[in-house]
Amino acid sequence: MKFWMRRIGFYLITLWAAISLNFLLPRLLPGDPAAIMLGKLRRANGGRPLSEETITAITSILGAEQGSSLWDQYLAYWGRLLQGDLGISSTRYPAPVGELISAALPWTVTLVGAATIISFVLGILAGAWVGWLRGTWLDQLVPITTFLQSIPYFWLALVLVAVFSVQLGLLPIIGGYDVFEFPAGPECTPAFFASAFVHALLPAATIVISSVGGWLLGMRNMMVQTMAEDYVLTAEAKGLRPSRIRTAYAARNASIPSLAGFGIALGFVVAGSIVTEQVFSYPGLGKLMIQSVQGLDYALMQGVFLVITLTVLAANFLIDLLYGFIDPRVRRDG
Amino acid sequence: MHDNRWRKTLPLVAGAAALALALGGCTPGGSASGGERPLRMWSGSMTPITNNFNPFAVDTATHMTFGAIYEPLFFFNQLSDDAPVGLLGDTYEFNEDGTVLTVTIKPDLKWSDGEDLTAADVAFSLGYGSNLDPDMVSAEAPDDTTVVVTYSSAKFTAASLILGSTWIIPEHIWSEIDDYMTETNPKPVGSGPYKLKSFTDAAYTLEANSLFRDGAPKVKEVQDIGIDSNQSSEDLLKTGKLDWVGQFIANPDGVTANGRISTMNQQQDPTVIMTCADTAMGCSGAQTDPAVRQALNVAIDRASISKKAFAGLSGESSPSFALLPRDEKWLGDPALATSPQEPDAASAEGILEAAGYTKGNDGFYGKDGVAIELDLFSPDGWTDYNDAAKLISAQAAEAGIRVNARTVSEAEYWTPISTGEFQLALYGLTQSLVADPYSNYDQYFTTTASAPVGEEPTKGQNYSRYTNSVVDEAVKKAGATQDEAIKQQAYAAIQTEIARDLPYIPVVLNASQSFFNTADFTGWPSESDMYAAPLPYLSTASAVILTRLSPVTK
Repeated sequence: MKFWMRRIGFYLITLWAAISLNFLLPRLLPGDPAAIMLGKLRRANGGRPLSEETITAITSILGAEQGSSLWDQYLAYWGRLLQGDLGISSTRYPAPVGELISAALPWTVTLVGAATIISFVLGILAGAWVGWLRGTWLDQLVPITTFLQSIPYFWLALVLVAVFSVQLGLLPIIGGYDVFEFPAGPECTPAFFASAFVHALLPAATIVISSVGGWLLGMRNMMVQTMAEDYVLTAEAKGLRPSRIRTAYAARNASIPSLAGFGIALGFVVAGSIVTEQVFSYPGLGKLMIQSVQGLDYALMQGVFLVITLTVLAANFLIDLLYGFIDPRVRRDG
Repeated sequence: MHDNRWRKTLPLVAGAAALALALGGCTPGGSASGGERPLRMWSGSMTPITNNFNPFAVDTATHMTFGAIYEPLFFFNQLSDDAPVGLLGDTYEFNEDGTVLTVTIKPDLKWSDGEDLTAADVAFSLGYGSNLDPDMVSAEAPDDTTVVVTYSSAKFTAASLILGSTWIIPEHIWSEIDDYMTETNPKPVGSGPYKLKSFTDAAYTLEANSLFRDGAPKVKEVQDIGIDSNQSSEDLLKTGKLDWVGQFIANPDGVTANGRISTMNQQQDPTVIMTCADTAMGCSGAQTDPAVRQALNVAIDRASISKKAFAGLSGESSPSFALLPRDEKWLGDPALATSPQEPDAASAEGILEAAGYTKGNDGFYGKDGVAIELDLFSPDGWTDYNDAAKLISAQAAEAGIRVNARTVSEAEYWTPISTGEFQLALYGLTQSLVADPYSNYDQYFTTTASAPVGEEPTKGQNYSRYTNSVVDEAVKKAGATQDEAIKQQAYAAIQTEIARDLPYIPVVLNASQSFFNTADFTGWPSESDMYAAPLPYLSTASAVILTRLSPVTK
């Protein structure tokens, strides 16, 4: 019991530190969001003088909380957070941050989540196979996938679009679904889900292509190492079928370290894939993050970072619990 | 056993995916309506588009709010010096001293919800929210088609603002809205040719307004979509998915090769090296010496900047800050028509030496043992600006002036600009929208449009902190009259001052390319008939174009 209390206490402190940092970081950045907004307004306004009213409204909503100490701002920040109020976005003024995030989150989780799982499964299966048949032509897969991984991400995405979408016209160019077919937005019809699926293919392919190599390499090496273990030798000596040795003895044990990595990768799924989302105009969270940083949109930045922090912590917590169950040595005190 | 485990997990993953989509606002709904295909455009919105049709949210409202849904009284074509075209308005007239403006509007106008649009709505709009000019004394509607607005000072020069970019709103709706700054107006009721049909954060669709005064436009539906990169928009144009965009494409032939898409390139807004010009306002650095600015002006190679940084698509800027040839009659001295296009390091050195600068051992000029060293910054990622800054830095070095090109994040860019804590910055000025450079002079060069360093200008955009009593006087004189001769004289005086002092060193006129589908839609502006600029992000102009288009029947 002491072990669990300690783990939970540790996570609570981490959570507090993460949220406090989240409060502090944007305030340490240079630039004033109210100045940006006023500058943009002036240009957009074609020279019309901004009324005092407008300037006051914008500085009061977006400007640094003048007159109050950092400590008071910190308390107010916690107060709003506990009420679930993430504030108003300045780049999407006056849209509430909570709405923007809840609209983007499902897309990112689905796309990046599915791509991460596919990439992991593919990498583990292929890695087990390559490790099993080490020394054959299959070894070539390792440098090939490593090469694919080293291709700049956006470039890969642009090449895929140029070939499959523009030249061959097989796949869509942008979006999470066909905005031309569904001008009224997402709906619960098979046609819509088919459209969303087709639109996810290229973005998912870029993520898979550029990340499968890592899983494959790790799994292949662990496989080679595991196959030198005594219990594999014993299994062979007992005369078990090679396929059984491969899957139940070697691959299962070899995949344990990868599983830990997979847990962490899942935690980062919500952070999205900024480049993929940008290139494909995919309606996800990663793009919100980059836009908020560029536009110095404090509220949106904090909201996105908070969601990412929470999921990474939650994923780690789950893995911690899981390891505690699987491996009793982890639980031992002292 | 391990096999079973995968069989259990896979449906789980699929289920989670479906759930996630359902959470994303999935509602059971009918499929898209049939009929003619909509005209599809990209006016520059990035996803997610936010549902905001408030015409007072000039920066965050959707593009189609302006012109297509809400209209001003008149349309001022920024490409010509023709008289403004009446939209809601029919005629307008100032009294002799410019303080009383009388506008008549067209009869029998309707809002898109069926209510009558009368002069009372116009009077209400002029006095509502940020439209309210502090100088306005009263706005009255003596009858259904006449509006009389009285001001405490002459408003000749504000005509395009009052008549051309004040969005007329229905009194029966907006009189109940108190906080116009946070209103999002998701169900807009306007007078324009289109009304909102459906909205999503990826795209929104407008349909023809059957109550529009000239009858519903021929293009029945217009869809404006959100795209996050220029490359995607270019790809969509090539594959026939998009009909109208305005964006930079370095090699336009690739898009127009299929014969469906036509292109046009207008050069409008000047890119300048903005200097913090005046020590009296708190500026510091070598650039506060006009001689340094003049030397920089002749040292840079505008032809090569235009070719290398702006893909040869930009135009030649004028130190008079009048847009040529549109503003031809307002140019005082023909010598000020264009900035020098070729570099002249020798005369740059001459200017510096005459001002008492000497060349150091390292080949760079300085005075009293202090070398000139200037920071020129531009927002990171604006590649044309970043490249131009690098070229300027190299060209200035040829003439012995040390200029360091620096890029900063966009967020970091605006703060020093607005507070004046900078030396040199690449900046884009906004050209006056009517064939009269008055607003340029008034906005960018007068003392009242500026503020001391550390403070932000609130009544203009004179971020260079330039002050010159001759300019101030002449702007005041030009603003108080409709007499062309007096205005010409005043402008000539201004041009002489600003071309010599160079608080903004003109570099190029920015290109603005538009691409539109001439195979499926006819009626676009052409080189011979520039009735409006074909850029989808220009408010009223884009709506004027939409009303003149017809789908090609096949």
